[in-house]
Amino acid sequence: MRKKLKWQTIGTVLGETNINEFFFSLKNYQAKKGDIVATETNVPDGNGKIISVTVWGKIMSIDCSNEWFPRQAAQELANEDIDIRDTILPTTRDELICKVSILGYTKNNEDKLKLLPLVYPVKPAASVNYPHSNDVEKLLISDLNSKHPIFIGSLLARESVEIKIDADNLVSRHVLITGMSGSGKTVMVRRIISELMQKMFPMLIYDIHGDYLGFVQKNKQMFPDNKVKLFYPNLSIKSEDKEIIYTLIEKLGKPLTEPQNDYLNSLINKVKYEESSLIKYINKLIAQSRDYIKDRNSKTKGASSGMGHIKAATMFVVNRSLGQVVKKLISMEQTNFRHRKKMVNLKFEQLPDAGTEPEKIISKGQLSILYLKGYETLPASAIVSILSESLFKHRQEVEEEIPPFLTIIEEAHNFIPSRTENKDNLPSVETIRKLITEGRKFGTGLMIVSQRPARLDETIVSQCNSHISFRIKNQKDQKFVRDTSETFDAEDTKQLPALANGQGVISGQVVNFSLPVQIKFDEQLLNTDIGNENFISTVEKWDDKETVKLRKKFAKDFSSISESDQRRPH
Amino acid sequence: MHNANNLFINYMDKAVHGSPVVQANFLKVILKVSETIVKILKHENLIINLNYEPGKFWPAHKDKTVAFVDGGLDKTSFLSSAPLTIRAGSYIVNKAAKEEFFTQQKNCLVDLYDPDNELYDFIDDDNFEDLMLNKKKDAARIIFEASALVNHIQSERNIDLCFLHGPIQAILTPFTQQGFPPFTKLAAEYIIPFYKKKKMSPEDRHFINVYLECVKFIKKSPFPIYGVVETAVSAAYTKNLLYSFKSKGIISEKDYRETIDTIIKYRITDANLFEIILKKNQALKPIEIQKQFYGNKIIQRSMWDDLIEQYPKIFMGYVKVTDNQAPIRIETLNYPSNLISDFSYILAVSKLLPNYGYPVGLNVVDRFVKISNWMSKASRNYFTTHLLKQAINNKDKNTVSLALKILSKKNRAWMNRPTKRRISR
Ligand SMILES: Nc1ncnc2c1ncn2[C@@H]1O[C@H](COP(=O)(O)OP(=O)(O)OP(=O)(O)O)[C@@H](O)[C@H]1O
Ligand SMILES: [Mg+2]
Repeated sequence: MRKKLKWQTIGTVLGETNINEFFFSLKNYQAKKGDIVATETNVPDGNGKIISVTVWGKIMSIDCSNEWFPRQAAQELANEDIDIRDTILPTTRDELICKVSILGYTKNNEDKLKLLPLVYPVKPAASVNYPHSNDVEKLLISDLNSKHPIFIGSLLARESVEIKIDADNLVSRHVLITGMSGSGKTVMVRRIISELMQKMFPMLIYDIHGDYLGFVQKNKQMFPDNKVKLFYPNLSIKSEDKEIIYTLIEKLGKPLTEPQNDYLNSLINKVKYEESSLIKYINKLIAQSRDYIKDRNSKTKGASSGMGHIKAATMFVVNRSLGQVVKKLISMEQTNFRHRKKMVNLKFEQLPDAGTEPEKIISKGQLSILYLKGYETLPASAIVSILSESLFKHRQEVEEEIPPFLTIIEEAHNFIPSRTENKDNLPSVETIRKLITEGRKFGTGLMIVSQRPARLDETIVSQCNSHISFRIKNQKDQKFVRDTSETFDAEDTKQLPALANGQGVISGQVVNFSLPVQIKFDEQLLNTDIGNENFISTVEKWDDKETVKLRKKFAKDFSSISESDQRRPH
Repeated sequence: MHNANNLFINYMDKAVHGSPVVQANFLKVILKVSETIVKILKHENLIINLNYEPGKFWPAHKDKTVAFVDGGLDKTSFLSSAPLTIRAGSYIVNKAAKEEFFTQQKNCLVDLYDPDNELYDFIDDDNFEDLMLNKKKDAARIIFEASALVNHIQSERNIDLCFLHGPIQAILTPFTQQGFPPFTKLAAEYIIPFYKKKKMSPEDRHFINVYLECVKFIKKSPFPIYGVVETAVSAAYTKNLLYSFKSKGIISEKDYRETIDTIIKYRITDANLFEIILKKNQALKPIEIQKQFYGNKIIQRSMWDDLIEQYPKIFMGYVKVTDNQAPIRIETLNYPSNLISDFSYILAVSKLLPNYGYPVGLNVVDRFVKISNWMSKASRNYFTTHLLKQAINNKDKNTVSLALKILSKKNRAWMNRPTKRRISR
């Protein structure tokens, strides 16, 4: 680094050092845990020369002791209820010992900072410096060596140091975002989305809570060059795609045996698909099947319908499966519709057919939000599975009808539960596993967001090579984070339960090294239509529906009847 | 066992080491003596009751600037080849002004004394047990403490109260020995900057002279300075009390002699007696005492006697802080003008160190002078293990044994209470 401004000295390296860490005694209040510090040392350059370098490190922990404060005094202060600030006892003589984990060194005469692994220990008794914010920033960014760095927030210990992460790794590899409810996961995802939108990168969000509707509301204002599309699941398909029924049965009903499939096949061939709704069509299939069953059970034993070779039991199973599917489809449509209706200002579109028109969902500069509110786990999983698989196919094909894109899965434990928890055999698990293992080749990156990392599918989690964790109180999840992500600094993970909203630790391929960060909060992107769930004000504005009003009114009359009834002499 | 001067310990000592007669009599005798002394104390109205209400006391005294002074050897220096360093540290505090100052004066022992005028044979500088060296260390510590006090008196800072760890005036006899070296000119000037600036003979630079200058100056201090001795092993107060009664003719020469003999025979100390006599939160008013002489008798004849006679008398009192501790001795060069309030302060500040019962600020400054900053607890671990590793790498037996000694010593030397200062009289 040339022309380095003088950095403030904040302490002195202590006793024993090695190439991984050192300890230093810190002047009062001069640095915090998580701060980046530097010290000068000499290392052999391998060519017989000794070069002077800057060693960078991160403060992992700080121990404080005040040896000049006698223990017994504490006892007396407590017993007698004396305020130490009134007495002559020393309060300013804390001795602070910091443990620093070494990040690497940079050569002093080079302009481009590249962190190299330290191969020679730092000098004991050397002074420890507090680099200027812009020098730390410069180190982080130039060492990250990213073509497309994106801004996410600041160093937790130092607000003036901006943290950027590598967008290329972010979209081509996979990111796991964990943290308990309200810890700041979604805020972080919105931050990343905002940045990627500037880069016109296509994204698809599976949004269960409507946490991303703010992008629709602020589309013109904040992202005038982008398209933000809001979709609800589409349950109508084209006739040439009626094969989807096999998938639906497979995903929503019971998987069929070969004879059962044959029977379904003959049903589908027989019943003409009219391009209306999938539900209607399945109902027609059911009706047709009933006829066949009737015939099969008649004296002719199915001869008149030509179904004599099929067992009645097979027909029953297929019939029941179709019934199940239709019931589920109806219920999910209705619930989603109810939620959409509440947001009168938002324009919802039916999800286009990913098979034939994938570009309507994934295209340059477009953010697509699939609004899944109200869908139960299984139907939602099926929708995700069908859509993602279909889009992935397009990336696999030689024609490449759609550009690379990033998929964001919120509440991921609903879609990719761990083996032990996947009782429903959710279809999305298989799909996402495929995406995540092959996604790197095809440019279909995944961002997986979950409150309960310990409950996620192990294979999928192990493929996430960047990890951002927010506050985690649950012991099991803390352990999970420690165990599964080797890129996390052990000291950083100790911090997890104590983090505030929006504070997280980020590690893996999107950064140089494990970093505690404060994510920038884009308040404008909160969904103003739903607002934060505020039940108090909902109640304040509450007015009973007409029917309820009437019911309440008549209830009085009826109760007076029953009262008088009770007063009646026997 | 935190107080070797504890009555019980003294008794046990007699039980183990004394003759059977002494054993049998010790308790009887001490009770007898104390009965008599109590009567004298009451007659002279010397016992005072102090008030201790910490909840009110501390907020009311928050705005006082109080200085605590202590001297010590830099023990760490013998880890390296660095010469022994003498330090006097001060802790000056004013909580209302949010001020906590730690200052120190220090010097290497070898630079302190004038080698040209050192008459006795220097056996081996490294030999810590050498008697002369010990005396030189003691003198160095005493003079640095005095120098620190001189410094505080001269400084701009308005100090309200000042405490010294140890007697306000040291016993001089150890340093009157023939051949005790004078200080170098530089050292003398450092100790007391305004002292005889131009010509200084070796005699002028001798401890007895330099210290006298300091003591005279300290006596003129605008603020009270108290020497606090937590383990007084003499009976100076008792003896002087008896002497003054004899002088006034209240007790006969014979009774006086016999009582003194008994006190000496049974090695009864002020602390023994006042531990019985005083209750907690009680104190003895200071009485005037000629430190360097006892009665009319010069302790030891030497060429310095004329000078020694010029040393001012001191005032000695006692404060009993807790029930299970011997009272602490309070020494001052002037009779306190605010006796009750100053002694109350001493009581309150000592209550904050309940197990030892002496001013907590002295404990704080003691820590400060004994532990150099870079060798305090946390850094020590790194340092000592480093040392041991080095020693083992060197495979040098002596280094290894030194390192082990330091490692094994560290707990005792650094973590335990400060060492007691034994004052013979
Ligand atoms: N970086 C931040 N800065 C300031 N406040 C934040 C930040 N991140 C989160 N918050 C606050 O916490 C609230 C909840 O954050 P967020 O919606 O991101 O939580 P979450 O982790 O997604 O929770 P859930 O798992 O329940 O969805 C935000 O609305 C905001 O008030
Ligand atoms: Mg969320």
